[in-house]
Amino acid sequence: MASYRKKALALVAAASMATALAACGSGGGSSNSGTKAGATGGTLTYYIKAALEHTDPQRTYVGRDITDWSRTVYRQLVTFPVSDDPTTATTPVPDLATNTGTSSDSAKTWQFTIRPGVTWQDGKAITCADFKYGASRPFATDVVTGGPNYILTYLDIPIDSKTGLPIYTGPYKSSAAGTAAFNKAITCAGNTITYHFKKSWPDFPLAIAALHMMDPYRQDKDQGDKSNYQIFSNGPYELQGTWDKETGGTFVRNPNYKASSDTTGSRKALPNKIIFNIGKTSETIADQLIADSGPDKAAVTGQSIPPSYYSQITGSVASRAASVVSPYTDYAVINFKRITNVKVREAIAASTNDTGWVTAGGGAKSFKEAHDIVNPAVKGYQPDLYPAGAGDPAKSKQLLQEAGVKTPYPLTFTYPSSDTMDKQAAALKQGWEAGGFKVTLEGVADQDTYYTNIQAPAQKDDVIWAGWGADWPSAITVTAPLFDSRPNLTPSSNGQDYGGYKSSAFNALVDQAQGSSDLDAQTKYLQQADQVLAKDVAYVPLDTQIFYMLRGSDVTGYKTDAASNSYPDLGVIGVK
Amino acid sequence: MSQSESQMERLDTADMVDVVDPEAVLGKSPTQLALGRFRRDKLSMVSFVVVAVYTIGALLAPLLVKIGFLKPELQHQNLLNVSLGSIPKTHFGGASWSHPLGVVPGTGVDVMSRLWYGITFSLTIALAASLVAIVIGTVLGIVSGFAGGIVDAVIGRLVDLTLSFPQTLMLLALSSAGVVACAKFLPGSASDPLANGFYEVLVLGLFGWPPITRLIRGQVLTIREREFVEAARLFGASKGRIYFKEILPNLWAPVLVSFTLTMPAYISAEAALSYLGVGIHPPTPTLGNVLTDSINYSVADFSYFFYPALLIAIVVVSFNLLGDGLRDALDPKADR
Repeated sequence: MASYRKKALALVAAASMATALAACGSGGGSSNSGTKAGATGGTLTYYIKAALEHTDPQRTYVGRDITDWSRTVYRQLVTFPVSDDPTTATTPVPDLATNTGTSSDSAKTWQFTIRPGVTWQDGKAITCADFKYGASRPFATDVVTGGPNYILTYLDIPIDSKTGLPIYTGPYKSSAAGTAAFNKAITCAGNTITYHFKKSWPDFPLAIAALHMMDPYRQDKDQGDKSNYQIFSNGPYELQGTWDKETGGTFVRNPNYKASSDTTGSRKALPNKIIFNIGKTSETIADQLIADSGPDKAAVTGQSIPPSYYSQITGSVASRAASVVSPYTDYAVINFKRITNVKVREAIAASTNDTGWVTAGGGAKSFKEAHDIVNPAVKGYQPDLYPAGAGDPAKSKQLLQEAGVKTPYPLTFTYPSSDTMDKQAAALKQGWEAGGFKVTLEGVADQDTYYTNIQAPAQKDDVIWAGWGADWPSAITVTAPLFDSRPNLTPSSNGQDYGGYKSSAFNALVDQAQGSSDLDAQTKYLQQADQVLAKDVAYVPLDTQIFYMLRGSDVTGYKTDAASNSYPDLGVIGVK
Repeated sequence: MSQSESQMERLDTADMVDVVDPEAVLGKSPTQLALGRFRRDKLSMVSFVVVAVYTIGALLAPLLVKIGFLKPELQHQNLLNVSLGSIPKTHFGGASWSHPLGVVPGTGVDVMSRLWYGITFSLTIALAASLVAIVIGTVLGIVSGFAGGIVDAVIGRLVDLTLSFPQTLMLLALSSAGVVACAKFLPGSASDPLANGFYEVLVLGLFGWPPITRLIRGQVLTIREREFVEAARLFGASKGRIYFKEILPNLWAPVLVSFTLTMPAYISAEAALSYLGVGIHPPTPTLGNVLTDSINYSVADFSYFFYPALLIAIVVVSFNLLGDGLRDALDPKADR
């Protein structure tokens, strides 16, 4: 899915830039459920607030963009199908490959056969070499930046002890030894591509369905960083003209796409044209979609309705709004350098006013209280890990007493400041103070450097806000990257382990999970690992974000599902 | 050979044509005369009372917070409707006897407490920024007007330069770095109200002095030719003495008027800057940051938006009218 980081920052920026008095929303008088499958044709507009950082497949790491490109321009070896059933929607189906891959050597080797008859937008066939070239690009860590880099740690290429990175440094410049190692790690035999990994990767198909890192890429189209906004399609649409970072782009039908070569059933490609419109604020988008006139009748958006607009979502407008649980979770990390006494950490968890946090953030349509850092839609979720609720101040006070510390115990909480987050933080403060703490709120106004600051090993806050979305629907992309001290903690940075958490018991369970060759065993170890985190109170889960999005009245077949990261699924959406 | 008595009388009355009752003028200082004129102006008196009420309220607020009458941070989330974006459940922003102006959406904090306490912070910022601007403006104005020559030219260009500076842009661009820099010299961290408020005061004040300098310089140009200044100079008085003991006491009228006109400008500047994310952040309330938060709710919860906007409008208008009234009273020759 997405590195949550980008999305979190975009959200926060939105809130702080909140503008515009609401225009009067006219009901419009049109009534359409928007659920029946529509006919082909028409123009769909997709409103997005902030500019995309990349459209390059190997550099795409935002959940919304991943699903948009999967359904329109970038086909994958395997993909997640459109489905209301979360399990089906997160089970890969063959796309550019003929099957979902065969593994051997305890999931260290994966083999796929490329489907015959699949082509690029210029009519040339997609070959095994294109896949191999695509997989080589993330190794150029100085050029192809911003995307997922799991392949660097998994692919069987020796590590350069000086840089800590693989000796292969990408297709643009690499040592002969590096290139040779890469050629051995990914091999092509006719239409069959084989990946050789260092360690077991039982959920490899999940990873490549959820991300675009292993997508094919045409070597003759690659201009390195200059290709950042290039879109060379192999899906049902192609880009008309060029992509404009500030305003977006228009997609028209790709004449060389053959529906017969696509068995996923998830690319109905109903609209003749899809316009990505970038640059309007969430408030403006909500105003326009409530008014529902002109091209906005055939519009969808990736932005949630701001809470102050909820009271306007009534009557016919309400029938055009959909609310879904998103794959994104927010949580508070406890700084282990500052709070070493586990009883104090338990007291923090006990007095966390999660209900207040959710209410201050806009209530039930904005957030859901979280019981686990792992999202409910992800394998390994445990609903009873944390109690959530309004907190238990009495228990917290008792724990502080048992800890033998002086009360009120001083506590600082840091978070990226915005109108909404300031209120949410105030709610947490009130809960913690009732539980025997004296809280100082450190709202950080500079959103761009928030994560850089909390990664600093010297950072002095006791409790730290952070957000995360699983990269693919397995807990291995949640707790392991966030709390495994070995890849994270270095003298210069805490990596994603913002609290500096270090536990050999946890790390051992992660090793066992990563070493498992089947998914169920892996999930079992990850759940045990998560229980270790909960026992140590390494984090306190705060919320699961809810997406609450409007659409125009002429939109048909509207759907948001697990396969589309809860964003509008362009595979089935059409216009009247 | 001499004029008749009746002619004398006519001349006398002609000289004092704007004095209704000559007896009333006798023995009154210019200050008393000005006060008299001010008292007769009803609008000025009303605005003076309003400003006085705000000031007394601002002075009392910290005390009222301490004794628990105002609770600017206590949350009552049970008064909110969580299925409608956490806006208050009842009409008029959730107004009730215990929360006469309603509660804040999201947190359920008493709006009256936030606004009342917010006035304290807003007025403090405006006052401090005004003082910075007035002190710099007056000193530079006196020096510039009295010294003349190269000093006057340099200060004049400095005024031009400051006026041509994109002030708002700079305030925004440097805000995070500026606040961090301020926090280094102050107790507390960069997210504290103190550092943020200090930065705001500093920048508002440092960009606010040029008009005052120009005004004061004009006044000084007329004063420096007066006999008492000549006399002081002939006695060998130091420059400092001439500036601050001879000239400054004659400038209190324009300084006072400038002050009452910069105050409202800075009160609205504080609100505008809050909207742009500069200045004191919640949970510490200011009129500006309460208004900024309420703008989002202008449709969903209108009364929450209405009260801060109204309070800012009243205080800004009152200060402006007060300033106008003072100017009229102190300088009756100015055209209305």
